[in-house]
Amino acid sequence: MNRPPTILCIDDEELGLLVRKAVLERAGYHVLTAAEGKQGLELFDNNSIDGVVLDYSMPGMNGMEIARIMRNRKPHVPILLHSAYVGLPPEAIALASHTLTKGSGPADLLRSVEQLVGHGGKH
Amino acid sequence: MNPKQLSRYLRQILLGSVLTMTVLAACLVWQVTVAQTARRWLSHSDRVTTSLDLLQKLIDDQETSLRGYQLTGDPQMLDPFKAANNRIEPLFGSLHQAIADNPKQSAGLTLMQERYERWLAFAQKMLTENPAGLRDPQLNEQGKILMDQVRAAAFELQSREAALRRQRYDDAQREERRTLRFISLGGPLAGLLLGLFMVMRLRAVSRAYSRSAAELEHRAQELHTGREWLQTTLESIGDAVIACDSEGNVDFLNAVAQKLTGWTATEAKGKPLTTVFHIVNEETRAVCENPVDKVRRLNTVVGLANHTVLISKDGREYVIDDSASPIRGDDDRMLGVVLVFRDVTELRRTEAALLANEKLAIAGRLAASIAHEIHNPLDSIANLLYLIKDEKNSAKSAEYLGFAQQELDRVMQISRTMLSLYREPSSPAELDLRELLESVLLLLDRRLAEQHIVLVRDFPERVIIQGFPGELRQVLTNVIVNAAEASGAHGRIAIRLESVPPEEFRGAGAVIEVRDSGAGIEEGAAASLFQPFFTTKGERGTGLGLWVSLGIVQKHGGTMRIMNSTAPDYPGALVRIFLPTRTMATSMRRNKALKAGPE
Repeated sequence: MNRPPTILCIDDEELGLLVRKAVLERAGYHVLTAAEGKQGLELFDNNSIDGVVLDYSMPGMNGMEIARIMRNRKPHVPILLHSAYVGLPPEAIALASHTLTKGSGPADLLRSVEQLVGHGGKH
Repeated sequence: MNPKQLSRYLRQILLGSVLTMTVLAACLVWQVTVAQTARRWLSHSDRVTTSLDLLQKLIDDQETSLRGYQLTGDPQMLDPFKAANNRIEPLFGSLHQAIADNPKQSAGLTLMQERYERWLAFAQKMLTENPAGLRDPQLNEQGKILMDQVRAAAFELQSREAALRRQRYDDAQREERRTLRFISLGGPLAGLLLGLFMVMRLRAVSRAYSRSAAELEHRAQELHTGREWLQTTLESIGDAVIACDSEGNVDFLNAVAQKLTGWTATEAKGKPLTTVFHIVNEETRAVCENPVDKVRRLNTVVGLANHTVLISKDGREYVIDDSASPIRGDDDRMLGVVLVFRDVTELRRTEAALLANEKLAIAGRLAASIAHEIHNPLDSIANLLYLIKDEKNSAKSAEYLGFAQQELDRVMQISRTMLSLYREPSSPAELDLRELLESVLLLLDRRLAEQHIVLVRDFPERVIIQGFPGELRQVLTNVIVNAAEASGAHGRIAIRLESVPPEEFRGAGAVIEVRDSGAGIEEGAAASLFQPFFTTKGERGTGLGLWVSLGIVQKHGGTMRIMNSTAPDYPGALVRIFLPTRTMATSMRRNKALKAGPE
């Protein structure tokens, strides 16, 4: 594997998205970001994505809806549902490969993404 | 039987007796009169017979005297003749008068008088003209013939009078017998009639009396049963009941009232109400106005002030809810006052529990938003700290630090807003309603965004009122969340805030209007919206939101109404809340009236 794994992050929280991108990039991932579902799906379709870090609660399409479309288009791409909520609908959990609650810290995030893409990172 | 009927009967009896006795007396008088008349006629006949006898004797005396003179020639012998002469004339006169009623006898007497006068003329002629002829047998013979004729006439008269007397005697006898018969029969007969009549009337009186007595007894029985029934009913009802007379003394108290006041019915009877029913204000402990005085003053049904506490005889306290009503007689005069009250201590506790529960429910409704608002910045902060730790570039570090600070401020603001839902000043504080609304919307922002609800704000610069910010936040959160739920995805909500000048019956204040694009209020639901446990949301609603909200608004001295909006963009419900600039609110007061309908 020559190229680093590409992670698509979708979140309406701009600052959160920016910081998450920086954390993942420092861990050696190639990170694409989108602030809402439509843009995110476009990037998903047009790029080779190794994993998706998806926020649940967003204006427009929510995380579950986006995940459903992604599963239809590229079922093999793993999805991490990364939400501020604890009580997610079971259907959403079923669609995701992994789930992670926001605020649990960068270590958990990196571990989850690593599990998601099966890649140890560069460091 | 009424007294009029009785007096009529008595009058009839009196009149009947008098009438009967009068008729009897009249008959008797008539009968006695008839008998008297018969006897008078009998005496009359006797008198006539006696007079006739006397007349006959006098005439005989004259004749004898004349003969004596004839035989002796002695003029002394003629004395009786002359004496009789003077008496005979008037005797004839009186006899004529006595028998004038009988023409036959009158004629007989006239004949006798004529014959006597003829004899007398003959006698006197002989005495004066021819005293010698006294011895003349021829003349004597003539005299004798004349005298015989007189005697014959007299005899006739006497026999007729005797016949008359016999008849009159018979008449008198008969009338006497009849009188006796009348008395012996009429008396008992009248008595019998009178008795029968009296018996008849008295029987009627007796019948009427029996009827009256039976009716009276029946009524008394009915009255007794009715009283028993009412007593039992009053005893059986679950509310406490105390009845007082118009002086305010206790007349009756039922079992529940006895339990709550600690006074037994016997002890309490006749005691002043204030002694038995000792009530004070829950907060100030001031003695409440005597309900009897209040009813008398207002002359209408009155409710007790809120937070009234009844202190029972043994010192126990009950929060009560009650009303007092005047008892009015037929003439609308106040006969007394009846108090109905119940122990609402438990209810008050339940109410407090419900209020607390609703606060939790609000927090629950906000939980998702809060989790989002806290977890997102926390996530960023954790990531930023991770980045800063290994960052060599100091400018970059400073930037990350700035971001972290920004996110931390966000968390703290959320935390403060959260706490303000629960922390409450003990007295009303000055607050800016605009700021308050913004802080509520901050918590709800995420939720509204998720539903893609378009929110239109129409807020002026500042609207300052007095109030309890936490409670008002609760009300506004409730109303806005309701609007969001009613509007559904892609709905619209408009919130308008404005200051309003004082109006009649209302001071200056602020009006908050929340309109939504939902389905509005169903007709039947309008009246029940503010009732506790009423919900149109099924399992999702506690049914307490509007009830609690109204309580809070009323506590602030404001009003809350829900109606259907007429604005074209917002066809759903319109909630209008008025809050006065200066509130009268204390930390506990709740208006009992929870009902409100659409305008």
